Amino acid sequence: MAETLLSIRDLSIAYEVGSKDVVAVSGASFDVPQGTIVGLVGESGCGKTTMARALTRVIADNARIDGGAMQFDGQDLAALSERDMNALRWRDISFIPQSAMNSLDPVYRVEYQIIEVLRDRGGMRKAQARARAVELFEMVGIDPGRLRDFPHQFSGGMRQRAAIALALALNPKLVVADEPVTALDVIIQRQILDQLRGLQRELGLSVIMVTHDISVVAYICDRTVVMYAGKVVENCDTATLLNEPLHPYSMGLKNAFPDLQSAGTGVLTPIAGSPPDLIDPPKGCRFAARCPFATDLCRNTEPALTEAAPDHHVACHRASEAAVLRETAKDPATWGAVT
Amino acid sequence: MSTLKPFLIRTLQLLLVLWAVVTILFLMFRLMPGNPLAAYIDPTFTAEQQEALIRQFGLDKPLWQQYFTYLGNLLQGELGDSFRYRTPVAERILLLLPNTLILTFSSLIVAYTFGILAGAWLAWKRNSRFEAAALPAVLATRAMPEFWLGMVLLAIFSFSLGWFPAGGTRSAGTSYDSLWQLYTSANFLSHLFLPMMTLAIYSQGLPLLLMRSNMLDVMKEDFVTMAKIKGLSPSAVVIRHGARNALLPVMTSFAIAVGYQLQGNVVVESVFSWPGLGRELVNAVAASDYPLAQGAFLMIAIVVITMNLIADLLYTFLDPRISHA
Amino acid sequence: MPDTTIKASSGVARIFEAIKLPVGDPFALAGLLIYALFIVTALAAPLIAPYDPTEILYTADYDLASDLLPGQEGHILGTTSLGRDIFSQIVWGARSALLVGFTAAFMVAFIGSVVGLLAGYFGGHVDAVLMRLADVAFGIPFLPFVIVISAFSEPSIWNTVIAMALVLWRDTGRVIRSQVLSLRSRGYVEAARVVGSSDLKIILRHITPNILPLSFLYGSIAIGWAILTEASISFLGFGDPDAISWGFMLQDAFASQALARQAYHWFIPPGLAIILVVSAGFFISRGYENLLFPKLGR
Repeated sequence: MAETLLSIRDLSIAYEVGSKDVVAVSGASFDVPQGTIVGLVGESGCGKTTMARALTRVIADNARIDGGAMQFDGQDLAALSERDMNALRWRDISFIPQSAMNSLDPVYRVEYQIIEVLRDRGGMRKAQARARAVELFEMVGIDPGRLRDFPHQFSGGMRQRAAIALALALNPKLVVADEPVTALDVIIQRQILDQLRGLQRELGLSVIMVTHDISVVAYICDRTVVMYAGKVVENCDTATLLNEPLHPYSMGLKNAFPDLQSAGTGVLTPIAGSPPDLIDPPKGCRFAARCPFATDLCRNTEPALTEAAPDHHVACHRASEAAVLRETAKDPATWGAVT
Repeated sequence: MSTLKPFLIRTLQLLLVLWAVVTILFLMFRLMPGNPLAAYIDPTFTAEQQEALIRQFGLDKPLWQQYFTYLGNLLQGELGDSFRYRTPVAERILLLLPNTLILTFSSLIVAYTFGILAGAWLAWKRNSRFEAAALPAVLATRAMPEFWLGMVLLAIFSFSLGWFPAGGTRSAGTSYDSLWQLYTSANFLSHLFLPMMTLAIYSQGLPLLLMRSNMLDVMKEDFVTMAKIKGLSPSAVVIRHGARNALLPVMTSFAIAVGYQLQGNVVVESVFSWPGLGRELVNAVAASDYPLAQGAFLMIAIVVITMNLIADLLYTFLDPRISHA
Repeated sequence: MPDTTIKASSGVARIFEAIKLPVGDPFALAGLLIYALFIVTALAAPLIAPYDPTEILYTADYDLASDLLPGQEGHILGTTSLGRDIFSQIVWGARSALLVGFTAAFMVAFIGSVVGLLAGYFGGHVDAVLMRLADVAFGIPFLPFVIVISAFSEPSIWNTVIAMALVLWRDTGRVIRSQVLSLRSRGYVEAARVVGSSDLKIILRHITPNILPLSFLYGSIAIGWAILTEASISFLGFGDPDAISWGFMLQDAFASQALARQAYHWFIPPGLAIILVVSAGFFISRGYENLLFPKLGR
């Protein structure tokens, strides 16, 4: 296996809401091997976006990193001074936001926004930065003639490509992509993902792909980390996750999304219910209330994340019975009547 | 090309509004009780002389005929003669206009420079104790009568401390070769200072409050978060991306403020005996000098209407989402 | 059961419910308290003021009591050059300010709401004509207009108030219109139209109650404008000579060389009184804004 670029250990992130703390990410651990795309998947509110933003250390005013470590290339991001962290931003860790429309400044031309980063953060001179901007646009498949456009003159797909170009500007080691294709239609989604995959291979990038859509994971990610209610519940390579998931939540997620390659076939079965309130999380397994296989043990004792099979981590009391549960989980009726 | 059509429509609307205001002005001055020539006619005039005057001003004709004569004269820039000065009104107004414009623009530039900086700073300091004290203070400056503020500054800095002259545009007995020399002289500037500060203190509240609330909105935008994630320096984040966006509506409000300030000038010019359009309007009204009052009013109205249009256009011009649609 | 209590409550309570007095906001509450003090002063002026504000006073030695300093001869704020009691003038000035502020605010809110309702509800030509009228009102220089009307008509507070209302309705009209436009497309208004309710009934029953808070917001802003404008008019000498107003006091002080004589006790109090009342109006309108548009509220 490739060298590990990023190693997250026991990371917790809390939001202060009123006088209470909401722990959005609690004790999460996973690795990002060099040169791979790691999917971070889960429903909205599961903590995946909070985790992604924590890697840049630009988090909401009321949020704080509440313990744990983020070992990146020999340094702990959680412990770096703001000054050292800022030196690392974009040069080593860049970010592709969900909505490229709102994340490009409307009053500046796209070219200016690329050159800004190249000059301010990359130390380039103007002419050099200009040439690099053209190169970047060609790389992501936009006509460099459009560099002088304003963001609102771009289509949704072009903006997302521009955001990718911007993220690659300084040859970062790690790109964190936060739902980069969610706002786009399926055909454009596939084009952009193909592009991203191509560039990742070409440049040997490591990518964290945050998404709620397991079909995106299936399409592009090498490894997948499944999160539920602030916890990592399963972590393995993507093929294994799709074919032999050990956690009932992963089994459910797979039923709930269409395949990106064969859009529109098969019945979709959503997981009934909604995630628990993180102000007051349940004491046992956080998924127990929605899990068709939950036992009393599940409801009372929280399962730890363990290596159930080689390079396959899961947090489930019934992981050893997974082969049987998988068969039951294929039947939509299993998911229908959960209270 | 695409921006030309709305521009033409707006200009046409401006002309319509101008025509409406001109008509209201005509009616305002004709339908008021009393003989409009009362102030002009000397008691020693004979009845024939009086009638000759009435004929001279066209007051013997029916109202609609007077109206068209009036419109026709306006189109030729003919505003009639002042009753008091017996000189063309247009000449007098053009003489006073620079004083008013200098006062207006200098005070607004000071007000906007201060207001924009302080507004951005207050946004930065939000929820602080300083902000809690500053906001009511700013609102209170908006609640001040401008002329009273002028009186207080005059009493303190002119009469008590003697730092600045009490009124006018220059000391008695001084003369300058050109207007340019006058306007750049220390003498003129020291006369300008107090009225300018009065209007500036009154006007800074609008850009300040506007800038502050825009900044608070903009700093929550995704592109500002992205600028932080990019590791740009705090000043680049706040100024280049925050303030640049927040500034847009503030700049638009500048044009509207010019039109508005021109009205506020009326009282402040009176306090400081500043020979501008506003003071002239007040004096002309008080002396029943109808042609002059009408001319001064019209000039102020033209600037107000034009500035409303410029505010619209400025917004279009400054926002690439509209100018590059 | 809060619902039944509201239904059972009197008409007055329902009005308070409709206009949503912003008592929760500390600023607005302070503003309301200042208003209460101001209204009480205005109503009880004869009881509070030690002298008639226009009475020319004499000292115990039968000299004209002119230009007395605060405290001299029992005059709290001293006297004017004509020997009038400044404190009494301040107290009576509250009456003029109250009269001007509230009547102008009422007229502005009323004209603006009616124009906005008609333009927004009927649309088409009615809307086009009324909104062009608003454009014209925006083109009229406000203070010069009020000066000319006040100067050329009988000098009275009412002419000044009417002149103000003739121009100031413009903002209220535009805002109410857009509010009505959005209300008109709501389900219950559509429904009322489908069942054949008359236009008047729809306007009165379904639309007016919803724009009332907005009318009040603009009304409370207009109070301040009106008081400031009246002060300017009086200061310039075009005011009602029979009414003692704070603007008149300032004109009197200015014309009597109070500035050169540094008679701060004469011209500072009327200014502070104006600031207090006008900023109270601003505070209340801010409270309203927070209540009506929580997003804007800061």
